[in-house]
Amino acid sequence: MLQFILKRVVMIIPVMLGVSVIVFGIMELTPGDPVLLMLGERAPIEQQQQLRERLGLDQPAPVRFVRWISGVVQLDLGRSIRSNRPVLDEIKARMGPTMELALIATLFAVVIGIPIGVISATSPNSLADHFFTFVSFLGLAMPVFWQALMMMLLFSLHWDLLPASGRGSSWQYYVLPAVTLGTSALASITRMTRSTLVEALGQDYVRTARSKGLARRRVVYQHALRNAMIPVVTVIGLQFGGLLAGAVITETIFAWPGIGRYAIDSIRTKDFPAVQGVILVFALAYAIVNLLVDVLYGFLDPRLRVRYG
Amino acid sequence: MEDTLLKKYLIALAAASLVAGTVAAQTITVALGADPVTFDLHNTNDQPTSQISRQIYDTLIVQGEDLELEPGLAVSWEPVDETTWQLNLRDGVTWHNGDPFTAADVVWTLERFINLPAQSAFLLDAVESVTAVDDHTIHLALEFPFAPILNHLAHSSLGIMHQASVEGAGDDYGTTVVVGTGPFVFDSWQTADRVVLQRNDDWWGGDVLPETVVFRPIPDGNVRGIEVETGGVDIGYTLPPSAARNVEGSSNAHLESVRTLSTAYIGFNAEKAPFDDARVRQAINHAIDVDLIVETIYTGQAERAVSPISSDVFGANPDLEPYTYDPERARELLAEAGYADGFSTTIWTNDNPQRVEIAQIAQAELANVGIDVQVEVVEWGTYLDETAAGLHDMFILGWVTVTGDADYGLYALFHSSQHGAPGNRTFYTNERVDELLDAARVAATPEERQELYNEAQVLIQEDAPWIFLIVTTEEHGVSDAISGFNPHPAGHHRLYNVSKAD
Repeated sequence: MLQFILKRVVMIIPVMLGVSVIVFGIMELTPGDPVLLMLGERAPIEQQQQLRERLGLDQPAPVRFVRWISGVVQLDLGRSIRSNRPVLDEIKARMGPTMELALIATLFAVVIGIPIGVISATSPNSLADHFFTFVSFLGLAMPVFWQALMMMLLFSLHWDLLPASGRGSSWQYYVLPAVTLGTSALASITRMTRSTLVEALGQDYVRTARSKGLARRRVVYQHALRNAMIPVVTVIGLQFGGLLAGAVITETIFAWPGIGRYAIDSIRTKDFPAVQGVILVFALAYAIVNLLVDVLYGFLDPRLRVRYG
Repeated sequence: MEDTLLKKYLIALAAASLVAGTVAAQTITVALGADPVTFDLHNTNDQPTSQISRQIYDTLIVQGEDLELEPGLAVSWEPVDETTWQLNLRDGVTWHNGDPFTAADVVWTLERFINLPAQSAFLLDAVESVTAVDDHTIHLALEFPFAPILNHLAHSSLGIMHQASVEGAGDDYGTTVVVGTGPFVFDSWQTADRVVLQRNDDWWGGDVLPETVVFRPIPDGNVRGIEVETGGVDIGYTLPPSAARNVEGSSNAHLESVRTLSTAYIGFNAEKAPFDDARVRQAINHAIDVDLIVETIYTGQAERAVSPISSDVFGANPDLEPYTYDPERARELLAEAGYADGFSTTIWTNDNPQRVEIAQIAQAELANVGIDVQVEVVEWGTYLDETAAGLHDMFILGWVTVTGDADYGLYALFHSSQHGAPGNRTFYTNERVDELLDAARVAATPEERQELYNEAQVLIQEDAPWIFLIVTTEEHGVSDAISGFNPHPAGHHRLYNVSKAD
């Protein structure tokens, strides 16, 4: 198992290297000049040139890439050309709120999604099953910004129960953004749990377990659900990784001080070091989540443990 | 035992909430449209930053909400000769860290602004040198006589900064260390969440009412509106039309509107056929119903522009009659110019949704007079590059006359020395207009300048390198508990006079 984990950790290095080359390349190839965006449309050429030199943007791309990547390996992501703040500090300040939100949203999705999936799977085609199917498709289909505004109108404006936006010190601030963010994950997890569990319940070992007299409850939860969990864990991992990077809309609407908003602002202003830094961190987070999912497989599936023992 | 502990706890809780209650009453929370960038004023020129920095820093001269110039850190100013201004600085002003404010900081700030160069360096393009005559007097030497320099000194990015603090903090200046002389002292900045300012009890300008001001960036305009309605914030800047209508109908909040210094226009490439013929440009002015654009696209957040600059800007000609909507007259003019059968052309816009709609209306209106227009949405960087290079036919752009003076709103846009990137993207040339704009820079009295600008605008309207479209209005949502909020046309509203009823 340890060897397996080590192998996977080492694999992250070439992935990150590839990502950094691609990110740098994309930023080079997209049109738009950060200097012009900063100085405005009527800045004299000399001023543009001065600023370009100050930011080191007058150097050829390969030189800048080497300079940047040698900083990255020393954990120095450079300074934002827009705010002059160290990119790593900016990311650290925003990573916390994003992680919090992603964790709570995932927890919300798992805690509600799996039981609903189980209920649907154990009584397929019942009224409850149809109802949950309908609701989870609704959850998948609802645009995030619309859901967010509707919840704000109801829970903040109409009923005055929860604050509309921001990240205050009380738990109330977390409810609306976490539910908004977790809704589509909830729907995916419900669907996945239902379909894999239905499949598992049709397997021979379930019939065997039942026929030797085990309680239905025990068979569902201890035998079938455990086997059905592997694809569900994959979905949870993918969803969580997606929530880390994909919370842009939720963060923007709820004025949540997370990293998604930073990514968008940086892309819009062509803030090279910031965009590169953020994408690198996203990629790393994704790689780590995938690693954790693989490790979890090992716990869920003894065969994997034996193979990589 | 447990019982008394519980009681103590409850009493403490009650006391805490009492204290919190009184503090909250003196805290004004303001929602901005985006995150500020840095409070090192020379490294940015964005609106959210200046909306906050205006409270922290003072400028030498202040441009009030009526756009009149008022004393700031300079109590008075007078010309020494044609190209030199003397500014007499205020006595007894201290920096937020207690150091005395002197002429040396002013000289240092202006020189850094010019040499760095600051992002809004154009403001001091006319300045040759800045010298301290004594501790409270400076001389500003200009390269050429330039009347609007006083307005330029009032721009929010020319707040005076403290040399020792800026140099002491190095790269961290503007994010963790911020020192000014203004009505509020920088307290803290939680990235992407809030900037907190505290009252400066020693401000030279008099009493500062709010104890604390909290600025929260809330990017979504509808959410800013909801927050104003729920009382989550006291003031929400720049609401979109839908949110503004909701706040208008709310029982505990209202709108404060202000006409801004921003205009939008359709420009023609006056060096490229068929737009090199003034009759074609005039014809298109007659062919497009500008009132329709104002009503349908801006729904209450703009009024029709009658000149290239907002009527609040000094030098705006109040007597211009807009082109009438008259497709028949348009067809006649086109026929005179030899385009009786019309022609095909393009109109460029960036992806700003309102501008795209303007382009579509123009397309429909011009089809009506036989001109076949293709709408092209161009990415912003490319848009600027290619309109500067003159590759365009028709285009839609805006301009903000931040200085509140016609020079900034006309010179760069219509003087023939400014073709392309500097601002004259219509490549318009009229020698008489050049003369008038040059003369107005140098003229000694405001009356003379006004006359010169009046004539220039008459000529510009006749030559029609633009279709004047709109002057925008900003609507801010304000809780009914708030009084003393007076929005500024340039967008950086001063908050020292704002108070909140309990």
